[in-house]
Amino acid sequence: MKETRAGLPTVDAAGPAAAAEPTAAGGTRRWIPGTPVAFAALVVLFAVLRPQSFLSTGNLRNTVEQIAILAVVAAVQTVVMAVGEFDLSVGALVSLTGVVAAHLMLDGTPVAPAILAAVLTGTAVGVVNGVLVAWLRLSAFVATLAVLTALAGTSLLLTDGSTLFGLPAGFVAIGRDRLGGVPVLVIVAAVAAAVVWFLLAHTSAGARWYAVGGNAEAAWYAGIDARWMRLAAFVVSGAGAGVAGVLLTSRLASAHPTAGDGLMLTSIAAVFLGMTASRSGRVTVGGTLLGVAVLGVLDNGLNLLQIDTYVQQVLTGLILIYAVALSRRREARR
Amino acid sequence: MGGTALEVSELEHRYGAQTVLSDVDLTVRMGEIHALLGANGAGKSTLIKILSGVQRPTAGRLSVFGQPVTLRSARDAHAAGIVTVQQDLGLVSGLTVLENLYLGRPLPRRGPLPHRAEARRVAREWLATVGVQLPLDELVGRLSPVRQTVVALARALAGRARVLILDEPTAALTDQESSLLFTLLRRLRERGVAIVYVTHRLHEVFLLADRVTVLRDRRVVATVPPAEVDADDLVTMMAGEPLASSGAAASARGPEILRADGLTGRRVRDVSLTLHAGEVVGVAGLAGSGRSELLRLLAGAQRPRAGRTAVRGRPLQPGSTRRALAAGVALVPEDRLHQALLPQADVTENVVLASLRELSRLGIRSARRDRAAWAAAARQLTIRATGPRQPVTQLSGGNQQKLVLARVLRRAPAVLLLDEPTRGVDIRTKQAIRGLIARTASNAAVLIVSSELDELTAVADRVLILREGRVVAELSAADADEETVLRHCYGGSSR
Repeated sequence: MKETRAGLPTVDAAGPAAAAEPTAAGGTRRWIPGTPVAFAALVVLFAVLRPQSFLSTGNLRNTVEQIAILAVVAAVQTVVMAVGEFDLSVGALVSLTGVVAAHLMLDGTPVAPAILAAVLTGTAVGVVNGVLVAWLRLSAFVATLAVLTALAGTSLLLTDGSTLFGLPAGFVAIGRDRLGGVPVLVIVAAVAAAVVWFLLAHTSAGARWYAVGGNAEAAWYAGIDARWMRLAAFVVSGAGAGVAGVLLTSRLASAHPTAGDGLMLTSIAAVFLGMTASRSGRVTVGGTLLGVAVLGVLDNGLNLLQIDTYVQQVLTGLILIYAVALSRRREARR
Repeated sequence: MGGTALEVSELEHRYGAQTVLSDVDLTVRMGEIHALLGANGAGKSTLIKILSGVQRPTAGRLSVFGQPVTLRSARDAHAAGIVTVQQDLGLVSGLTVLENLYLGRPLPRRGPLPHRAEARRVAREWLATVGVQLPLDELVGRLSPVRQTVVALARALAGRARVLILDEPTAALTDQESSLLFTLLRRLRERGVAIVYVTHRLHEVFLLADRVTVLRDRRVVATVPPAEVDADDLVTMMAGEPLASSGAAASARGPEILRADGLTGRRVRDVSLTLHAGEVVGVAGLAGSGRSELLRLLAGAQRPRAGRTAVRGRPLQPGSTRRALAAGVALVPEDRLHQALLPQADVTENVVLASLRELSRLGIRSARRDRAAWAAAARQLTIRATGPRQPVTQLSGGNQQKLVLARVLRRAPAVLLLDEPTRGVDIRTKQAIRGLIARTASNAAVLIVSSELDELTAVADRVLILREGRVVAELSAADADEETVLRHCYGGSSR
């Protein structure tokens, strides 16, 4: 029942794993933990090139703040990719949910209900994605790309293409305040990532997600209905995008209709980077967060070196190719 | 009938210590339809693979029109004039007839540009050699099965095939379509093409073949003109010496557990059966007879077109493996790698897959309980692994199979459905699995599909025989000798 999806490579590393006989050495061939090595190399490189600024606490804190929102989106993208799909609509959904919250607050809605509305909007879009992929059997690529487009249009309609300013101070505080020296933003992101990690690693739902992504047919014979698991994964992804939308809008103290769009590609890149962090090639929240760290450090270091952001974009693309090629190679070997 | 087109002598093929073909001699003449018969596992597929260059034999000689040839690849086979049309025809359904005919061969050119008109003219010629004209711009996927077969044949012959190997070409055809195909094949025979015709259907041998070669246990038993034998003779040749009845102890039959009425699927037609606690029921049938589908229908893995299933008198809602498992019906599917194992996961993850709910509290798993589940499974089924975290792909085939069994046995099923449970496992595991089946059957019903007839007769109390989706016979273990079973599988005397 392996479905070949158009577009991005599927994470379904299971495939018809050719009878992987144990090699004489009693294991798979030599394996290089690509992402941890890359991470260490980047840290050393920047520490040598910019010893004062790169390793300062201020810079470290800054980096963590910068990647907190990506961490949330990448964590939920991990769930979708664990189930063998991917969600291209997350970035546009982050933008839209931020716009929804801002719009409501500017219309006089109190902060808490506005936040709730943003998260519910994300969840509802997740349901739509899930139904399109699991029940109408559209490929995740087509379904989430179409949803992305519709979401982007909705954001532009709601804002008239402009940026929404003048958000309540209580809301903006989420992105600015600290709790015991730690930014609230980072705390929320850490909690969200921890919840997703717990779901994947320690619940029966997590085991079912991995099973469907690893071998949907085997899962079916074991009494697991892939449709519900796919739906649930997209719902988690949508809700996570809602949380990220709130965080992003409060951090920027404004809502822009395309503010979160870039998170789509970087979140997928982070998950792919994370796949190379474990021997099995399985997607895990831990691996994904390492991938997020690589992207964050790269971004920060290149900034310190005053390298053009356009160059950074080129580098991100190259790194994505590197990570995907690495995980593919492993698959080919299996 | 002309000279020798294809000659195979002293062909042998081994995988490691296992011999899959031994001392095979086969001569196919020009203008001859030569049928190839043999029960499952007799060696037909390997022989076809060797003749089509997909597999190299360990030993033996091959010559085509008197010229010795070595086939290292499918390309070599084509160059020698041998073309194989597999059961799936090898067509691309999203391309047109014309595009399929030119698949893998260059279009005629005029200067630097493809010469469309010439390509169409040549394609029509190719179709004419088969004696049929088809719309060249129609998508192959929209043609009827027999027309698709025609495209595959025309494509094979366009490659100047002088030896044509057909693997069960009528498997997907209706009787009417089959006879249409036969007409075409006879026409090709007149043109001097040598045809190797692999089939499971005895009546086709009598209808079509000039000679028939029977394989059994990886050897050629005989090559004879069909006129000199009858269907019973052929079955006897395929079956070999009658096995002494192994006399499986007719175990005490308990209450009825499962009842199916009029189950109908894609292949399965109107099958009714009952299973009682304490019995092992075997299912025999040729490949494609609907054996696996029957198990899938019972296990809720496939939705039936008609029919009902009840477990302990309670109707089972169809089309859900979860509900079937909850009602106590568990299936071990045929294909371990694709249908059972999670290749990325470790042995523990694999063994708990069907009992996640039982092993978690409020949806939260416990590493301790999971480990205990693995330890129990490994102990009870003597699964050899280095530890609970060993990747499942590192286990041997036999240990993987035991693991898959352990997964469903954890749920203490009332009905255990097994599809080829000992395929590709070593002899010791085979015995262990048979022992396990007997133990499980002490308080459950077991339905087992196997292509190994001696296995069925060894473990089953009775054997159901499926032919073309229907149960055509039910034999007691004592009566189920290989020849009788095969006779029913093939439909006995010619149809």
